[in-house]
Amino acid sequence: MPTKEEIFKKVQVALVDALGVDEEEVTPQATLVGDLGAESIDFLDIVFKLEKAFAVEIPRKDLSPEDILTNAAYVQDGKVTPAGIAELKKRMPFADFTKFEAAPQIRDFSNLITVSALCKYIESKVGA
Amino acid sequence: MRWFWIDKFVEFERGKRAVAVKNVSIVEEEIDQYLPGFPVLPNSLVIEGLAQTAGLLIGEAGGFEDRVVLAKIGKAVFHRHALPGDQLRYTAVVQDIQKDGAIASLTSHIGQELQAEVEMMFAFLDDRFPSGSLFDPVDFMAMVRTFGMYDVGRADGQPIVPPPFYAQAEREAQAAYPKGPINPAK
Amino acid sequence: MQFSQIDQVLELEPGVRIRAVKSLSPGEHYLKDHFPRFPVMPGVIMLEALFQASVWLVRQSEGFAHAAVLLKEARNIKYSDFVAPGQTLEVTAEILKQDETLTTLKAQGSVNGNIAVTGRLVLERFNLADRYPLRKDADAYMRNEVREKLVGLLRPRTNGPTPR
Repeated sequence: MPTKEEIFKKVQVALVDALGVDEEEVTPQATLVGDLGAESIDFLDIVFKLEKAFAVEIPRKDLSPEDILTNAAYVQDGKVTPAGIAELKKRMPFADFTKFEAAPQIRDFSNLITVSALCKYIESKVGA
Repeated sequence: MRWFWIDKFVEFERGKRAVAVKNVSIVEEEIDQYLPGFPVLPNSLVIEGLAQTAGLLIGEAGGFEDRVVLAKIGKAVFHRHALPGDQLRYTAVVQDIQKDGAIASLTSHIGQELQAEVEMMFAFLDDRFPSGSLFDPVDFMAMVRTFGMYDVGRADGQPIVPPPFYAQAEREAQAAYPKGPINPAK
Repeated sequence: MQFSQIDQVLELEPGVRIRAVKSLSPGEHYLKDHFPRFPVMPGVIMLEALFQASVWLVRQSEGFAHAAVLLKEARNIKYSDFVAPGQTLEVTAEILKQDETLTTLKAQGSVNGNIAVTGRLVLERFNLADRYPLRKDADAYMRNEVREKLVGLLRPRTNGPTPR
């Protein structure tokens, strides 16, 4: 069973490889999209690398809850509704929703995926 | 000159693995004057051959319904120069196919020696781009047939055939072709 | 034909960076196949433009010391937009580090100020005398050929892409 430190190191390597960023940039608070420059094609790469590194399967919807974000019941006027936030929290318990809840703009959704959120997700998958 | 950077498929296993060969010739326009004094196949064109091998493998797995384009080269490392007279053997292995893209690992060999190794990612163009296929279906079938895709192509040991939409397009085109000698204009 | 993917060098700061352009002519032969219904510059040609800009920076910076400069590695080459016929890809490359035989650069290409491709390249520099001793007599010829090519690329141009 890998420790949290080991998980962080492996996630760091995967992100450095996939995104071409320096190790120092991959801090726990860094957002994959905003800070590290990840685009949708990079998510394909990152997910694949993490699946290999940790021998787990990462279903698309765990990190990209498109079904929730395109549901009219959960998104109105470019903002996620309280019901939508509740659904997102169920789908993504590893993410910190404090900032997002204060201003739930759909265009800021990707900021939820921080390096530490990704590590917490992996921890839940490998039972660390 | 065609934009073909493989000569033919020698193995093709649907959705999994394909092997194609590329013969390097001194007379190819991109080679003889690329580096005058040292004819060599530019490594970007090795990448293109690998991308064509993997792209067609991935496209075929989806019945050629997706528009498959190269989106990212994760890593490409070259160990040997591809010189006139060399035959490059390109092997593509599908690592993952998702709804919006795919990942493949590729190698290029000259004989037993590793010439290059590349990881690449393809995106399936979505509605943001002009709709419709990138190719005319009949022309596209003619092209993949010349690469020998249906000569060597297999799925679970059984020969593969063109997807229904493409087979239909071929049938309709062939039914419409005029027959017999041409009648000179009156 | 030379497979030249740089039409003109606009700025060159030896040892540091280069800025160059490549215009996609609608008559380019590969457009008929790439793709018949959606003609765009192939990703590998965009990569080749990044590479060739890097080559000129490296060659001028080292005073054409080596006959051959070829692509050894490409990393994280990411495509974010297409180049359509009639458009011009503006390429910039910057040297990150260099040793006796390898130079690492970061490069990007943009169209109308929008980034179309980014990545990292490693170039290898050698003389045939080092790697292909039987061919060493070509070294001087090769160095001269590429030198003349760069002279042409540095010349200010008032009209259209380089004739082939």
